[in-house]
Amino acid sequence: MNVVVCVKQIPDPAVPGELTSDNRLKRDGAKAILDESDSYGVEMALQLVDKAGSGEVILVSMAPNGEVSGLRQALAMGAARAILISDDALAGADALTTSKVIAKAVERAGGVDLVLAATESSDGYTGTVPAQVAELLGWPSLTFAKHVEIADGKVTIQRQTENGYDVVAASLPAVVSVTAGVVEPRYPSFKGIMAAKSKPLDQVTAADLGLNSISAGQSIVSVDAAPARQAGEKVEDDGTAFERIVTYLEELKVI
Amino acid sequence: MNFAFSEEQDQLRDVVRRFVEEKSSEEEVRRLMDTEVGYDPNVWAQMANELGLQSLHIPEEFGGQGFSFVELAIVFEEQGRRLLCSPYFATVALATNAILNAGTTDEKAALLPGIASGETIATLAFTEPNGRWDADGITMVAREDGGGWVLDGTKMFVIDGNNADLIVVAARTAGTSGEAGISFFTVAGDAQGLTRTALATMDQTRKQSKLEFAGVKATPLGAAGQGWSALSKTLDQAAVCLSNEMAGGAQFVLDMSVEYAKVRVQFGRPIGSFQAIKHKCADMLLEVESAKSAAYYSAWAAGEDNEELPVVASLSKAYCSDAYFHATAENIQIHGGIGFTWEHPAHLYFKRAKSSEILLGDATYHRELLAQRIGI
Repeated sequence: MNVVVCVKQIPDPAVPGELTSDNRLKRDGAKAILDESDSYGVEMALQLVDKAGSGEVILVSMAPNGEVSGLRQALAMGAARAILISDDALAGADALTTSKVIAKAVERAGGVDLVLAATESSDGYTGTVPAQVAELLGWPSLTFAKHVEIADGKVTIQRQTENGYDVVAASLPAVVSVTAGVVEPRYPSFKGIMAAKSKPLDQVTAADLGLNSISAGQSIVSVDAAPARQAGEKVEDDGTAFERIVTYLEELKVI
Repeated sequence: MNFAFSEEQDQLRDVVRRFVEEKSSEEEVRRLMDTEVGYDPNVWAQMANELGLQSLHIPEEFGGQGFSFVELAIVFEEQGRRLLCSPYFATVALATNAILNAGTTDEKAALLPGIASGETIATLAFTEPNGRWDADGITMVAREDGGGWVLDGTKMFVIDGNNADLIVVAARTAGTSGEAGISFFTVAGDAQGLTRTALATMDQTRKQSKLEFAGVKATPLGAAGQGWSALSKTLDQAAVCLSNEMAGGAQFVLDMSVEYAKVRVQFGRPIGSFQAIKHKCADMLLEVESAKSAAYYSAWAAGEDNEELPVVASLSKAYCSDAYFHATAENIQIHGGIGFTWEHPAHLYFKRAKSSEILLGDATYHRELLAQRIGI
């Protein structure tokens, strides 16, 4: 069983982000890290392959400047190899362009049974790549999985909903997006960290994947600061304030 | 000689830092302080199974990963930052090193894989009620009895003595004194005739025990009567580990002080703008940086296992003891009233610094040892 995990290497959220002159996030400054939301997919993939008893976990990542530090983190956890697409032509790529690249990379990986991705990245938040990759590959797309099981050529997931979960199944190969907290990502050992250095890393360009006339597909016109938080509602408690709180929480679907 | 950490070593630091930040929050430290065992078995298992911390410097042939004291030092430094409550120091810095230094190949093969896998918690029972850290402090007599060895007497201040499955004991044969006649033995934690009593300690983040041996059957470890050089080396290596742990704690309280000095406003300006506070922070920085340099150098010497180790182990233990204690004391002063409260973490570091200062011999003892070792 071969599982591809889509991992994004993002600027460290602990370091304040900067924008380039064309309104894109600066990605050539500090070292990139593995998007935490992708570490769940990596852990899930490792567990599935382990359970299957054979196969490997392959990472696919698109990042500028041949960035590998985030990939090394995932390789240290136990992934077998990685495909890195690094190409100036892809700077500022929109979700569909990204999906085209990832779908091609999945084909390049070869013999893939399952693609795992996070529901959305922690820097872009588009949340559309997993479904687009599935469509481009012509594979079923299952989303928001909080539990994944593989048996008899089928993948069965528990799909997170507002009230609980739905059980959804599809035939393999398939693309599944997993929610944060689906599993506890393992901490790598020093041995794993050392081994990550020598694991195969296949660095390619868009052209290597057969995508010759590809462009970002979007441009960012302007960027505004997030609106400041509004003052909250003050409720004078006349003995019934709890009802207002309960209603408010219900509106938020928290309870 | 390269004094910079490698990229992989920096990654190890990141991983361990992330781990201890998650598993050893102040809240968790306080919870474990109040428990009898003083550590979380799940965290211990994760340290062994995922991060492989217990096996880090155990050779591969004995179930370990075969890395050196430099990697170990990184782990201790990061644990020291967050006061991780765990039998790691007792197991890895004390017992594992004692077995590696004293044991025969067969003994290592029998004892080390259990430690490497996290199954065995171990410690070294060395100090006695006399509180001495030198060879003369060992008065416990081991006697031969019907082809085996039997131990009688009391060991004090044994780190994690109540948690240990395996206790490495230093004792001497009757009629010997000083460095001659010292031998190592191993005893199971639940051995017959062994009474273990938890001691009330000022630093509740590291548990200590009194172990009373009444005719306890013991298994020899290494050559009989030849144990002192292995023990002396073990204590030097443990001092290296402890120095790095202290350096990590010292850096953490310095950061805490600087952060507070920037946000705490008094007389209309942050207290960090007052000379009295600036000077304290500058002195702390000087000492913390020097402590880290000494600790890293000692880790390198331990990793190389060269002739410098005894000298730099004592040097770094002496310097780091003073620097850590001073930093934690100043941290309380800089925090003012809140720093004196039970609710603030400052006292946790202060107490850890005090207990670490005395553990393995205080700064005065190690400066004397240093003088002897460099021949003055």
